[in-house]
Amino acid sequence: MISIGIDAGAKFIKAIVLKDEKIVAKGQILAGFEGKENVEKIYNRVMNEAGISPGDVNSVTSTGSGRKMVDFATNSVTDVTAAAKGALSLFPGVRTVIDVGAEEGRSIRCDNNGKIIDYAVNEKCAAGAGAFTESMARALEMSLEEFGSLSLKSEKEIPMNAQCAVFAESEVVSLLHAKTPKADIAKAVNDAVASRITSMVRKVGFEKEIALIGGVAYNVGFVKSIETDLKDKIIIPEYPEYVSAYGAALLIK
Amino acid sequence: MIDQFRDWEKNRHAYAKAWKEKTGGKVTGYFCSYVPEEILYAANILPVRILGSHEPQDVTEAHIFGMYCPFCRDCLAQGLKGKYDYLDGLLIAQSCLHIRQAYTSWIKHVPVDFSYYLPFPNNVQSPRAVTYLAGEIKAFKTAIEKWTGKEITDQDIRDGIKIMNENRNLIHRLYEYKKKENPPVSGEETMEVAISQQLVDKKEHSEALHKLLGSINSVPDGKNNGTRLMILGSENDDIPFIRMVESVKGTIVIDDHCIGTRYFWNNVHENNGDLITSIAERYINRPACPSKDWIIRTRIKHILQLAHDYRVKGAIVIQQKFCDPHELDIPAISRALNAAGIKTLFLEFDVTVPVGQFKIRVEAFLEMLQEEDIF
Amino acid sequence: MKIPNYKTAPLKCWNKAKEIRDDFYKNYAVAHEKGGLRWSGGAWSFGAIPAGLGDDVFPLTGEPYGASIAFNKQFSIRCMEATEKKGFARDLCSYMRNYWGSVILDEYIDGGKFPKPDFMWQDHICCSHAKWYQVASDLEGGIPTCCIDVAVGPYTEVNENRLNYITGQMHDGIEWLEKITGRKYNDDKLIEAVYNECRATSLWAEICTLNKAIPAPLDEKSMYSLYVLGTLEKHSKKVADFYEELLDEVKYRVENQIAAIKNERCRVMSDTQPPWGFLKVFRYLETFGAVSIGSLYTFGLIGMWEDKEDGSWGPRTTPQQKGIKIKDRDHALKVLADWNLSKPEWQHFYSPHLKSEMMLRIAKEWKLNGIMLHYNRGCEGLSLGIAENRLALIDAGFPVMTFEGNMGDEREFDEAKTSSRMDSFMETLGFSVINE
Repeated sequence: MISIGIDAGAKFIKAIVLKDEKIVAKGQILAGFEGKENVEKIYNRVMNEAGISPGDVNSVTSTGSGRKMVDFATNSVTDVTAAAKGALSLFPGVRTVIDVGAEEGRSIRCDNNGKIIDYAVNEKCAAGAGAFTESMARALEMSLEEFGSLSLKSEKEIPMNAQCAVFAESEVVSLLHAKTPKADIAKAVNDAVASRITSMVRKVGFEKEIALIGGVAYNVGFVKSIETDLKDKIIIPEYPEYVSAYGAALLIK
Repeated sequence: MIDQFRDWEKNRHAYAKAWKEKTGGKVTGYFCSYVPEEILYAANILPVRILGSHEPQDVTEAHIFGMYCPFCRDCLAQGLKGKYDYLDGLLIAQSCLHIRQAYTSWIKHVPVDFSYYLPFPNNVQSPRAVTYLAGEIKAFKTAIEKWTGKEITDQDIRDGIKIMNENRNLIHRLYEYKKKENPPVSGEETMEVAISQQLVDKKEHSEALHKLLGSINSVPDGKNNGTRLMILGSENDDIPFIRMVESVKGTIVIDDHCIGTRYFWNNVHENNGDLITSIAERYINRPACPSKDWIIRTRIKHILQLAHDYRVKGAIVIQQKFCDPHELDIPAISRALNAAGIKTLFLEFDVTVPVGQFKIRVEAFLEMLQEEDIF
Repeated sequence: MKIPNYKTAPLKCWNKAKEIRDDFYKNYAVAHEKGGLRWSGGAWSFGAIPAGLGDDVFPLTGEPYGASIAFNKQFSIRCMEATEKKGFARDLCSYMRNYWGSVILDEYIDGGKFPKPDFMWQDHICCSHAKWYQVASDLEGGIPTCCIDVAVGPYTEVNENRLNYITGQMHDGIEWLEKITGRKYNDDKLIEAVYNECRATSLWAEICTLNKAIPAPLDEKSMYSLYVLGTLEKHSKKVADFYEELLDEVKYRVENQIAAIKNERCRVMSDTQPPWGFLKVFRYLETFGAVSIGSLYTFGLIGMWEDKEDGSWGPRTTPQQKGIKIKDRDHALKVLADWNLSKPEWQHFYSPHLKSEMMLRIAKEWKLNGIMLHYNRGCEGLSLGIAENRLALIDAGFPVMTFEGNMGDEREFDEAKTSSRMDSFMETLGFSVINE
């Protein structure tokens, strides 16, 4: 039984191949402007890696904001369902899934049977998503990884407005002008974005255990900020950006 | 000179708790400056205005949709986080919709012993408003009596009016000094006095004001000699912002804010027949909040008068993000100020303001105003 | 589960509704040609009062006018931009901005120049209502404006002092109308208009009650085109008569199981005004077999309700049904004030919890699977307390979906994102698109 999950996100398209529910291949590609072509590229690439051909595939499930581009899919589910399925299959004790991608953050609460009770998605402003942290890292002239680990070095609490990305950005500029150490700025940004996310988590309510998925989970500073805010340990899967694709692959049809 | 006021403003919760301990009395929080505090003082209750903390928070998203003003969300956050856990009661006088949500969510999720919604008239220009409000104040008084189990006599009300009037008179005298060429108090200092006015027992506040006024003449000239500015708009208790403006040689000499002049501008007539009606008249006739300033725009005349009396060169018009009532007034007020030769700088406030960015704008504004002196 | 397949048929009185609406905008525009008067004001205002000035007095109600503009996206964008150019904030009420834009551009939705009103007659329900016409008057270079404040607390707490405040303003308003129009006021016409308003608004509630039936005879998208007549001229005989006719037709649909949508298997309600430029999201919902049976907004903005003897929610009994004979002006004004204060859509201004109770009532009595809340950036009045409504509905066990948008400013609505939210919502409710 071969099933493939394709998560066509705003920035990356992720694909994963399961053989009898075990991961045999995975890969990602920038979504870019040629989304549809790239969907096919990554689909072929992971099949190559798994040593299979289209004829061997029993099921392809698409998810993500660009899931309609995967026109050869046999099944299609929304991000919410895929994220919950993926996270709960990896960690059956999880009741709250926080998924932060490039342009959207969401929080999902599930019951003991893995059924979704409630979820929230961030509203228009992008301050609560990965793309914003990335642009802030660029403003500080460092990589996202550096940004994350540098932020761990700060103990300072600099209040920063997380309601509006534009306001927050101008606050960063002000801090730079005021010669604030970069570590403190990085922490302030992570705290601000985290607070935007936890605000959403509180909106749907949260229960242990909590998993964080999506590319932003690689930002260790951000994870620390979330943990401090929620006063709880967060589970991070080994490949956080692939969890939704994995969940999709499990939803066979 | 203003250390006492600053201490009250900074340690407002500690003050209220100590007051309670000391007097054994009740403390009620209130939203909006239209609450007739005379009745509360008559009942020996300490009213404290609910304000925000200017810190980012993540507890109100579940309760208030993000398109409402940051001030109402900041206020509610204080309640949800238990910062006001000492309150016996919570009150609101009807004004804008935004702040109302902080009240309705608060009483549901952080219940208090006594809560009261006073449906204050919005049509303050109607001849029917005073009679109506007097009826509402009577009902409010009855509710307080029922809560405390103690009758509020006419003498109590007279006392309540006296306490409020005296405090308003004293802060007026402080503001008179701000008409001077080099005012002895800065805008920041004035704001500390004005904020604490709504946080502490007016009797104590009046005592401190007496002291301040007694020593004010010994302040050497030349301390606050920046460009004379007015500040007006939405609720504003952002001290770091005022400090920043004054650090770049602006001097704020007058304001039109509900923490500030709108709150204390006029008094209750003490010898004008029915006491409750006199209180109602005071609140109906006070400088209006934009949510009540219709159909005639009375605020324009009032603001221009202030600008004239305090000889301001420019006005900083601030607005809490999403504050609809002010958004509906600002274009007309800015136009009127500009027509009167007073330039305006518009700034949108959030829970925290980007001081660095605003500093550049304020400096540019001040340069523009000073250029006129040069050429 | 087998997918239901009901009979369905278009509404017979559809064209008549359209005709009444078209006449409304036309009559206002041409009023002066026949020596009549024009007034402009809100859909919630006490329109029955200016009716006492004569039969040739025609209103233009701001909210439906703003919504009509929103429907015409190109015109709407131009209106918004004209308003912004005058220095007004983008987050203000979008109906109001559309209306102001139409005045600034001097263009009427029906073509031609914007017909300047002779006076403005408004009531103040939210922070923007009185100020809307204050600004409109500024923009027109000064038009006599009167606005009645109705903010006296929830209906259950109305007392004499509160009612007197409103009727007092109404009496002053009538004197003002006589003064500015130079006309003699006719109390009989006022009384007739009050009767009409009570009849029309009670009938609309009765029509909505019929939507408790499965399958629902009406879907919310169609209801918008029907309830709107009440927002145009709820005090007119024409509208009341139309609702009589509509009631009969809807009764017939219920009796004969004629459904609004043929695959009805999921029932939801919405909340607040929809994004008018994107009503097709309701059609998208139908592909899942889901029908929106209405909302507190469609039921309770124009409909007047009360508790019925059997404990259900139903149409408020009119004064004429109770055998009350309105004696004079004061009596008419009292009846009118009391009637309007019971409006369901007024209660949440004082407490979201009152609104949650009514929403839960609808969710149970109209047998809903879920609720879609429109977090409407265009209306601070009706979005007031919406987050608390969400919490209360979830607490009571109803699945809730929220989507952010704007009733009148299409720049704030993301169609793709909204459809994707609907997908997730339907998926969690266990429904997928019905493939035929």
